[in-house]
Amino acid sequence: MSGAATPGRGGRGARHRVVVTGLGVVTSIGTGVDAFAAGLRAGRSGAKPIGAFDTTGFAHSNACEITDFDPAAWLTAQSPDDLGRAAQFAVAAARMAVADAGLTAQQVRDVRSLVSVGTTDGESRDLDHLTALQVAEGEDALDEVAARRVWPGRLSAGIVRELGLEDVETVTVPTACAAGNYAVGYGYDAISSGDVEMALCGGADALCRKTFTGFYRLGTIAPDVCRPFDADRQGILTGEGSGILLMESLESALARGARIYAEVLGYGLSCDASHPVAPDRDSIARCITAAHRNAGIEATDVDFISAHGTGTRANDVTEVGAIRQVFGDTLPRTVSIKSMIGHTMGAASALASAACALALRDGFIPPTINHRSTDPECAVDCVPNEAVEAELRVVQNNGLAFGGNNAVLVLGKWEQAA
Amino acid sequence: MALQANAAAPRLAISGWAVSSPYGLGRQGFTQGLRSGLRAVAPVDAATWPVPYPEAGLIPGFDVRAVLGRKGTRSMDRVTGIAATTVGMLLDEYGTRLAADPERTGLVLGTSGSVQSIMDFTRDALTGDKPYLVDPARFPNTVMNCPAGASAIRHTLKGPNVTVSGGATTALLALQYASRLLRGGHGTALLAGAAEEFSVQRARLERVADHDGGEPQPLGEGAALFLLEEATAAREGGRPVLASVLGSRFRAFQDKGRAGAALERCVADVLADADAAPGDVELIVPGNPPGLLGKQEESALDGLTGNRLPVRSLVGDAGAASAAFQLAAALAEAESEPSLVDRLALITAADRDGTVGALLLRLA
Repeated sequence: MSGAATPGRGGRGARHRVVVTGLGVVTSIGTGVDAFAAGLRAGRSGAKPIGAFDTTGFAHSNACEITDFDPAAWLTAQSPDDLGRAAQFAVAAARMAVADAGLTAQQVRDVRSLVSVGTTDGESRDLDHLTALQVAEGEDALDEVAARRVWPGRLSAGIVRELGLEDVETVTVPTACAAGNYAVGYGYDAISSGDVEMALCGGADALCRKTFTGFYRLGTIAPDVCRPFDADRQGILTGEGSGILLMESLESALARGARIYAEVLGYGLSCDASHPVAPDRDSIARCITAAHRNAGIEATDVDFISAHGTGTRANDVTEVGAIRQVFGDTLPRTVSIKSMIGHTMGAASALASAACALALRDGFIPPTINHRSTDPECAVDCVPNEAVEAELRVVQNNGLAFGGNNAVLVLGKWEQAA
Repeated sequence: MALQANAAAPRLAISGWAVSSPYGLGRQGFTQGLRSGLRAVAPVDAATWPVPYPEAGLIPGFDVRAVLGRKGTRSMDRVTGIAATTVGMLLDEYGTRLAADPERTGLVLGTSGSVQSIMDFTRDALTGDKPYLVDPARFPNTVMNCPAGASAIRHTLKGPNVTVSGGATTALLALQYASRLLRGGHGTALLAGAAEEFSVQRARLERVADHDGGEPQPLGEGAALFLLEEATAAREGGRPVLASVLGSRFRAFQDKGRAGAALERCVADVLADADAAPGDVELIVPGNPPGLLGKQEESALDGLTGNRLPVRSLVGDAGAASAAFQLAAALAEAESEPSLVDRLALITAADRDGTVGALLLRLA
């Protein structure tokens, strides 16, 4: 086992080990790390009929919507009107991550930090609303309150404002459905290089008509539930939420006696440069290999893969093909939490990173629910329907996106040297 | 002699740039326009652009298909066309050598996508015979990484492909992101910069944004991309080092009245990291936002005597591309002013959402 002992040897100038010490999550199967962890273990489903917008005229319209989120409970420095729903999720998740790490906002203020938040749609929910207003009342109709909060920079700036951070680099990473991994990977580089001491990284998105309609038109919305790797899979369910990881240097975590969920071992990026929406097997394989190299691990070190696993015909076959290209005939267990929380877009790989961190700490592999029979074309042990207990050392989290933007993250168990 | 804060970190250089701006496509018009102080903001044709602004800084006559041809452009939106065009211009100069290693060559593009594309798509959904009768080929345009992904497809950039966004500081964040990717070993050459489009919906939304109670300024559009790599790699590839990237710093402020203090600290820190003194800064390209934010930026730069280049007043508020134009302006000035060789240039930005940034370069 080479993984946890020699992290980041592929990257140059990597001087600090990077650990995850706090998790904040807003999901359709639970808000807060305990509820999320319990939901993952129980294989809970967030699927339900959409309430976010009128779905008249669609033959089917389920999504993994969050119905119990109260922004006022999380916002102290800003009014809920200042932030769109995605930014509200991000701020709530960031505050949870800080508290979960056993930190006060003041302690985060005291160090140099990075806030990076990935997204697919930014505040497209508000843009839907502004468009509907123009359609209903004329081109000049404008909700000025909503208009002021649509720019994606506010997803990260909202966190910074809420926590009162000053010595901070603030960036939104709209690299679509792999954005969460990009944001976490960026935090890894910023901490390991010594540029910052702490980072709040992840992703956020809110359900919106625009994205539901686009996937529906492509024929990729499942009529009932999302069944990754299943012979009868029919596509995604759109989802929403936010996952934010509080990351810090190992020195910082040890000095303050923090509880460590996992170590970030490294990550890899690649771009297909071939098709705007169809994934490319070779490019995904190249991304996985780059992540392993950056993390200083071998494929055989990986104990399970949290797949992008959207549950569309094309994704699952292509992704498993890419995994096979790297791992050969012996594949690690490969699961998709999208079966439970839907495709949360820019939050997806961030929430999956959080799930991986919980899995490493608690010793279990989250299940792929709604599973009936595995498709021989993407034959993996997807841990069907029920979580399994497992001693884990290294896990891999895949994120794939429109535009051929791939990002793969590798996390490892952190163990105090004996 | 400037020292790297981290002696082990390789020195990063800008070894090429390209720009599409209200002065037209290419560096020449941009450089001449800025140096002659020509204002590129012009009256808007209200028939084509029914916007609540009398003037704008549009790329003159920009038409995606006219510039890029018909292949692969049927559904391409304006910001994607602007980005792909500018990436193409940069690669046209350096492409043959970089093309040999497409998997190590990537793109970090600053943009907030196209609110026009997003809203058009939803409008089609709301007004069509059926709520799902939208053009699927236009769906990728509604996702903010479309310009970066489409540019990679068009120009075969298989390395890291990242989209970043942060208001007026966007391009500085893109340069910083690209720098970290290079230092982390994720690629050997990255195109970094930012792109923005002019659109009716952007204009409607921007008009009601926070302007400190003043009149909204004319909007601009365009893109500037910079080739970022290790100085040694540039020399080995036969590319000129146009500037060394000494570093950037970012901070945040709660109240606009504190923006100046935040930026002043960024400037002090980025100078200290480079072991440089305020007097070493020969060229300053500020963001010049309107109202209190602009006054705060001025106060932060009070102690610096370097020559100031105005950009925003000439090309308009270029949104996500603002600081990319500022950086391009510094390089344009350096090309024309031999006295700037080996002198420092400072680019600053302050955003209404509460962030500031400063980038320090040594011009070559």
